[in-house]
Amino acid sequence: MNTWRVLWIKEFRESWRSFKLLWIPLLFLFLGVSDPLVNYFMEDILNAVGNMPEGFQMIMPELHARDLLLATTEQFQMMGIIVLIAVFVGTISRERSGGTATLIYVRPVSAASIFLSKWMGASLVALLSALIGYIGSIYYTSVLYGEITFSTALTIIATYSVWLLLVMSLTVALSAAFTTAVAASLAIILIPIGGILDSLLGGYWHVTPWKLARYGVLVTDGTIESSYYWTTLLLVIGITLLCLVLGIWATDRNRRLAAV
Amino acid sequence: MSLLEVNALTKKFGSRRSVDEVSFTLQPNTSTALIGPNGAGKTTTMSMIAGLLQASSGSVRLQGSKDIRRHIGFLPQYPKFYSWLTALEYVEMVARLSGLSAQEASKRSKQVLEYVGLGSDMKRLTSTFSGGMKQRLGIAQAIVHDPKLLLLDEPVSALDPLGRSEVMTLLKQLQQQTTILYSTHILHDAEKMTDQVLFMKEGKLVEQGSLADIQLRYADPQYLVQFAHDNDAERFAASRKQLVRREVNSVYLAIDAELPTMQALMSSLLATGYDIVKLERVSASLDQIFMKVAGANEHMARVVD
Amino acid sequence: MNDWSAVPWNLVMPLIIIQVLLMVVALIDLVRIHETKGPKWLWAILIVVVSILGPIAYFIIGRKQQ
Repeated sequence: MNTWRVLWIKEFRESWRSFKLLWIPLLFLFLGVSDPLVNYFMEDILNAVGNMPEGFQMIMPELHARDLLLATTEQFQMMGIIVLIAVFVGTISRERSGGTATLIYVRPVSAASIFLSKWMGASLVALLSALIGYIGSIYYTSVLYGEITFSTALTIIATYSVWLLLVMSLTVALSAAFTTAVAASLAIILIPIGGILDSLLGGYWHVTPWKLARYGVLVTDGTIESSYYWTTLLLVIGITLLCLVLGIWATDRNRRLAAV
Repeated sequence: MSLLEVNALTKKFGSRRSVDEVSFTLQPNTSTALIGPNGAGKTTTMSMIAGLLQASSGSVRLQGSKDIRRHIGFLPQYPKFYSWLTALEYVEMVARLSGLSAQEASKRSKQVLEYVGLGSDMKRLTSTFSGGMKQRLGIAQAIVHDPKLLLLDEPVSALDPLGRSEVMTLLKQLQQQTTILYSTHILHDAEKMTDQVLFMKEGKLVEQGSLADIQLRYADPQYLVQFAHDNDAERFAASRKQLVRREVNSVYLAIDAELPTMQALMSSLLATGYDIVKLERVSASLDQIFMKVAGANEHMARVVD
Repeated sequence: MNDWSAVPWNLVMPLIIIQVLLMVVALIDLVRIHETKGPKWLWAILIVVVSILGPIAYFIIGRKQQ
């Protein structure tokens, strides 16, 4: 599949020249380090600013390393994911409506090449961002709150990467299937809003795709049964593969929508 | 043997037939103009040949190829390029998509960019290009893989006069090396570089043939008499039953039994004593032919209704 | 009463540095880009004044690209 590589290089150049490979990792790094840092110096800041009423005492809950890693994961799940969706949800649909796709679609290029190059381009940015964000989070958490083993760090990052591959495959597949506006609405409903609903109502069941990111942290100290973790992981991989197949199909079906 | 065979090509959008049973063939190394007013179905026809649109029925066959996309170069009316790529990067990319190796792609891309006159601009981002430069880049990307057939949709309509003449010059050179099918509603351009013309109207192919044939068929030769004084023209026009039309000081007359030759016309003019500036036998321009073809079709439609 | 020396600057600095980096990257892009949605000066103000969200909003909404 030579055309796949050619198109992927195009995506990579776009990510590089539009600074996506710089600002999105920086954002994740900010999200990653902010919880461990802000929680640690909150008390100091409040004391420094002063103006506290006499006798007022803040009772800070005692935080453990795991709590900070969960907080970081939550940050990625809201702010991080919304930004990734916003950036990549037009990756196929916008090329179709803008007309740049036309000159690609008249070439002997398969729908699989078009879709997979887009998915891998988006996934590269997402995975790099999460990696850098977690490294920042894990570094300050281990310095300020206690040691984190290498295998814990690896499990958290690897699990979150699997989840991000699903997020990007769904986002890019929606972009292949619908207009940018429709795809954006669906992606926001399915991923972040779905995650909120699942955390509100999901106490009754143990396996949904949205739980994977949390499970990635909880499985490292045995808070959840590892069978829940593995079932969730397999479910997410299965849905990712389904999104890829549907995405390629939608890309092929919607070739005719390319503006002339 | 013909290079391209288009057979009863039809495109329906709902119940409307945008393209209705269009059939024609293209011979190798000829150029063909697809002429018609806006909305006649020219772009839809081109898109179906290019494989961008699926035909509702009918077929397109390119001599000796299964995947037609391998052997065509396509230039849409408003080509859009990735703004973050340089011209060279862009052309190299599409060359590789069409199956050229990395070295070939690089060599050919530089060649075609030189050829279209973008040699010194090939390292610039496409977003900095003017309309004429974008159109020339569009031609470069369409020819980089040496296609058997070049499809150009309104290649010059969006350009200013300077850009238009630059692009026309390029196309006239290309005409000698490859088969070209291009659409246009500017008949003046079609007259300059065409072996065959296809007239489209409301989705149908209403007339086709070589330019010479069509000109002969619709030539409708007339006499043109130009007078020094407008009122002479007016008086002369009123006196002749052969009058076709008068444009200020120019009078167009039909050729008939009474005035079979130029001599006959001259002797009748001599008798009048008008001050004559010009005397000529003229035939219809493509413009007038087009009006006539479109008009004839309208009459037919009215009869059918 | 405001005893700023009590603030653990070595912990606050990373956050400030990242914010400034994001701002600088956004400003560089703003200068180099051909066209933005909305006037460039407005984006420049937004990027500088609103930390984190300003640069992000610019990258997501402000950039205009075919």
